[in-house]
Amino acid sequence: MLFLLPAILLVLVFRIFPLFWGFAISLTSATSTDPGQFIGAGNYLRALDDPNFRSAMANAVAVLLSVPIFVTIPMLLAILIHQGVPGRTFFRSVYFFPAILSSVIIGSIFSVVLSFNGNLNALLNLAGISGVDWLGHSATALPVTLAIQCWSTFGMGVLIFLAGLSTVSKEMVEAARLDGAKMWQIWWHVIIPELRPIIEFSTVITTIGLLTSMFGLIYVLTGGGPGTATTVPEYLIWAAQGRLNRPAYAAAVSMVLFLMTSILAWLQIRILSRNANI
Amino acid sequence: MQKLKIVTAIAAMIMASPVLAQEITVWDVNVDDAAHATYYDHAKAAFEAAHPGATLNLLSQPDAEYYTLLGTALASKAGPDVIWANGGAQAKALVGGLIPLDDKLPDLISKLVGKSAFTGPDGKLYFIPTTLQGHVVYYNKALYKAAGLDPEKPPTTWAELTKVCDTFKASGKPACFMMANKEGYNAEFFLSEAANQSLTATQQADWLAGKLHWSDPPIKAILQAWVDTAKNGWYQEGGNSQTMFMDEFALFEQGIAANVMGLLSNVAHWKQFEKNMGVDKVGVYPMPSPTVAGDQHEGAPGVPLDGGVGYGVNKDSPNIDLAVDAVRILASPEVLSYLVNDTGSVPANTEVNTSGIDSPGLKQIMGWLATRAVPTTHANSSAAELDEWHRQSQLLYNGEATVEQAAVALDKVQADAKPQK
Repeated sequence: MLFLLPAILLVLVFRIFPLFWGFAISLTSATSTDPGQFIGAGNYLRALDDPNFRSAMANAVAVLLSVPIFVTIPMLLAILIHQGVPGRTFFRSVYFFPAILSSVIIGSIFSVVLSFNGNLNALLNLAGISGVDWLGHSATALPVTLAIQCWSTFGMGVLIFLAGLSTVSKEMVEAARLDGAKMWQIWWHVIIPELRPIIEFSTVITTIGLLTSMFGLIYVLTGGGPGTATTVPEYLIWAAQGRLNRPAYAAAVSMVLFLMTSILAWLQIRILSRNANI
Repeated sequence: MQKLKIVTAIAAMIMASPVLAQEITVWDVNVDDAAHATYYDHAKAAFEAAHPGATLNLLSQPDAEYYTLLGTALASKAGPDVIWANGGAQAKALVGGLIPLDDKLPDLISKLVGKSAFTGPDGKLYFIPTTLQGHVVYYNKALYKAAGLDPEKPPTTWAELTKVCDTFKASGKPACFMMANKEGYNAEFFLSEAANQSLTATQQADWLAGKLHWSDPPIKAILQAWVDTAKNGWYQEGGNSQTMFMDEFALFEQGIAANVMGLLSNVAHWKQFEKNMGVDKVGVYPMPSPTVAGDQHEGAPGVPLDGGVGYGVNKDSPNIDLAVDAVRILASPEVLSYLVNDTGSVPANTEVNTSGIDSPGLKQIMGWLATRAVPTTHANSSAAELDEWHRQSQLLYNGEATVEQAAVALDKVQADAKPQK
């Protein structure tokens, strides 16, 4: 017990206490210069009436709907690498390269590439297609931001799936091949079922990552706009605290985001415990 | 006994050390800027000469995160003694953590202009403005000439401005105006510039108090002008994804557009453009308004301006008197003259000598300041209204919202931020 004490203290001081402190602040009208008064659920009710909060939650749902893409692409690439495509060592390194770049650098690069006078529109113009303000229109800003997030993170997914693939039974794949199974049948009936625990794990960590780690990219690429097209809950938290001097409201939105991620964490624990018995 | 004496002496020294080595900490986002170095050096030297044993510790803070860091520090009673802030909503959001300075520095305050951007809801002054900030339009004289326009006669009315932009639109390139609204800042500039002559003095006061609404005719006309200018092709394409600082102004200097809505102080101002484009290549004019208020004469020279940046004193500072004196020195005419000469900022203190600056642009601007200056509309808006205006301006620019919808959304935010009794 004594050996666990430092770890317990660290968790209590840096995780549990701030959580309860944040919850307490969310029940007040505090600003940065005024501790405010107890207002109960006032900030939570205010969030329900805030169109920007509603937009942020709708965007969060849109982000969650993109999770299958974030999981499928690295899985397919990992299977291809595992099956020995020519140059697989090169691809494995190149795929992982964006994962070591900070979101600010990635955002800056793509701000240049996707600006109206940027490289992508220059290519389109060469093909006789008019340029698009990719980051300046509501219809394109979020999909483009998600595509960049996918590009910048899929390398890590590839590594996770490669680790998972190393556990797939070679005998089963060989047996399927001897039985005359085609390549897609081997994928669908042997490899992907074997990868199920990895797919589920990847799905959960990708979901949590998308909800809590897109701030840097959004800040640099779009600033949450146009309008609220790319405003997600974590960006709204920053705006409430940093721009509007509303730490109590920011704390309330943080608690909502915490609740969302907690539910996902609970799912993760359930999935992992279930798979432990497979 | 000897040991006791030594221990007593050490204890006395430790107890006395805060008095012997008092330190006044200043948070400011410009400390690392080379152009500000002489100003800070002289302020530090003047302070430390006036208070032997005390030091002025100027700490640079990141611009983008400044108010987040400051808010957190103030909330935990760990903020600096002296606080730098931009005038308007950001400064006004901080007044609860500051001391009023009216009784502390009456002589200095009597020589200042641009105080309203730093005045709290109780009418007291919480920051001493050092520079003024306002908005004018800078234009590229070579591009005017190439388009067949007289580069020495910039537009003075909305009709003339429309004619200028029609001319550039007809020629295809360059764009009439640069637009950089990724962060919503160009919409802020447009709001203040277009309101230059749109509001009566009473309406200006009503706007500050939240009694003039976004859906009221003079403001709604500005929203409509924002939509119309975009629809009529005044701006280059991609304005909603264009960064303002400093990309927009660099592009203007490269000739991407003929006009840009700029500032009076710090950056994107007369000094920067005259230095980078050439004194005879850049002109300046006050932006005309789409509607003209009853007490205004259309085309009369004048600019929207307010306190640009200023310094306040943290109410939790353990050395309030010293901190107040640091603010006095940072805003004194002698020290401020270095800032004005090195950065081209327009001083808020009328006693700063600017006669040494030989700039045609600054001479024109100083003349307009003396003729007519109105408060900047955006500096008298709440932070929440500006935040919403950033969003609505982007939607209006794209045609994704109507003026009516934007005005309703902005009215709601205004009612929440400035509740009427």
